[in-house]
Amino acid sequence: MTYLLGILQTIGVHTLLGLSAYLLLLTGQLSLAQVGFFAIGAYVSGILTVIFSWNIFAALALGSLMAGFFAFLVGFPALRVKGLMLVVATISFSEIVRLFFFNLSWRVNVNGVEVGPDSTQGFREIRYFAANGWEQIHIVGLIWFVVMVVMLALWWLDQVRAGAVLRAVGTDELAAQSSGINLTMVKVAAMTGGGVIAGIGGGLFAHSTTYVDHHTFVILLATFAVSYPIIGGLRSVIGTLLAVIFIQGFIIEGLRFMGDYRNLIFGLLIILVMNMRPQGLLDGHLVADIRKLLAKLTKGGKADA
Amino acid sequence: MNFDHIDIIQSLIDGVLFGSIYALIGLGFTLIFGAMHKLNLAYAASSIAGAYSGLMSLTIFGLPPLMAFIIGPIMSGVIGLILYFACFRFMPRGNHLAPLMASIGALFFIDELIIHETSGSPMSFPAILPDAYFFLGEFGIRGDLLLVMGFSFILMAIVMLLLYRTKLGLGTRATSQQPIAALLCGIPIHRTNSATFILAGVLGGFAGCLLAASVGVLSPLLTLPLTVKGLIVTVIGGLGSIRGAIVAGFAVGAAESIFLLVRGVNERDIYVFLLLFLFLVLRPNGLFGTTINRD
Repeated sequence: MTYLLGILQTIGVHTLLGLSAYLLLLTGQLSLAQVGFFAIGAYVSGILTVIFSWNIFAALALGSLMAGFFAFLVGFPALRVKGLMLVVATISFSEIVRLFFFNLSWRVNVNGVEVGPDSTQGFREIRYFAANGWEQIHIVGLIWFVVMVVMLALWWLDQVRAGAVLRAVGTDELAAQSSGINLTMVKVAAMTGGGVIAGIGGGLFAHSTTYVDHHTFVILLATFAVSYPIIGGLRSVIGTLLAVIFIQGFIIEGLRFMGDYRNLIFGLLIILVMNMRPQGLLDGHLVADIRKLLAKLTKGGKADA
Repeated sequence: MNFDHIDIIQSLIDGVLFGSIYALIGLGFTLIFGAMHKLNLAYAASSIAGAYSGLMSLTIFGLPPLMAFIIGPIMSGVIGLILYFACFRFMPRGNHLAPLMASIGALFFIDELIIHETSGSPMSFPAILPDAYFFLGEFGIRGDLLLVMGFSFILMAIVMLLLYRTKLGLGTRATSQQPIAALLCGIPIHRTNSATFILAGVLGGFAGCLLAASVGVLSPLLTLPLTVKGLIVTVIGGLGSIRGAIVAGFAVGAAESIFLLVRGVNERDIYVFLLLFLFLVLRPNGLFGTTINRD
């Protein structure tokens, strides 16, 4: 049971990472800065609960706002460029954040115990949940509640004008600009939103594992974050969730018996999936087919009744 | 911290010499980007993999150490061709995300393959001219790095000649400007792109071997830093600009060395990345890039 909850916990946190990349990918921008925002959320909310003894919800909120704020700041210079340049700029941002926390030492005496980030030793003692009598099932519940809220919000975004604007920028920038869309504003907004989502994911991650250090926040995690929505497909938020379950649940956990070879298969599978389904697993055609099937089923059901 | 002008000039010399390896990797990234307007993130990994296969062939076939510098680049070129077919050849032209993601997959695969084959432990690489160290007045110069630099210059000259003096180079440049027009003019673009990937691969293989020889060991931990540094060089130099990549390679090497001297090893890379941000804000097209290349 603990094992299963652990997997659910990982899938939930990674879904948040993937969704934060998804939002920016809608505008056609590939950002590897998500792991930087994730790290900011993790450290800021961790510091708030550990050093300043804040309530977890307030800490998570401020952590994700801080991440969003940095996303906003980095958005302006980074989104002047696109494509390869943006990839490089966002890699640099994530690495700057990681190296900052690698060098950050802020040890404080709280109730007779020295706590806080300890540069290379990492940030231990993020024990809010244990100290306040939360059980693992509650933590998993909180994580999935947040995942559901974020997914609903992103789904709702697609039902209103904002979603159409985002996708218009992603499909054809020139056409979007000609119809009066402010490209920079849309992209920076998407970046900020992505930062908030990644930040709250980081806060949840730090508190559920009780320990973070700079090794957690390497570029590898950022490539995971963008790989979920790309592999899942950008047509629907469900694609991202499916991709996380496929990668974290099936490849990483399900193929554990294959040992070392699992990691080899992972890389090959990505190459294979991208060649066979360049638009992602859940691409436009498949979504349309599913819609048609659903419509047929409900129609059929009505006819019977 | 205490250091005087001698320390500063000394670390500048070291940095510029080491920067020639960055210049080679940046040149490879630029070649591939110029040809396809797509990013091959597995490029630096394929360079390291080439160096590994050179090193392993020494122990398997009992060859003299120098052969690593021949087999490595050849293998790297072969890997480059495989990468082209696995990640780029069959992708839809307008889709930029799918090939990028596939090359990330290839990066994982190559990395894991190396870790799997070597059990993750670093392997020592034959040094070139291990004892050569000369003095120029008060400054010391590592002989092997000087050789690395000289060798890089020769390679760059060969690439320039290939690009600007041969029919293959003409085809490559035409394909990079307008692939469909090039196709209409009878240029076999897939063959041209394959040739570019092989050329970039061979270049990367040399860079990988030279890097391993000057560091002394080959380790899977080298791939990510080399990828990141290569990308930074490409951007600072200006996308698709050959001379930009070369100049930026030396500049990044020198800057890195100065930051190392002034701020220490833990903070060095922070400043390299900040330098990159400065470029993105002030000169988003890089040193020599034109707005056309901004993609």
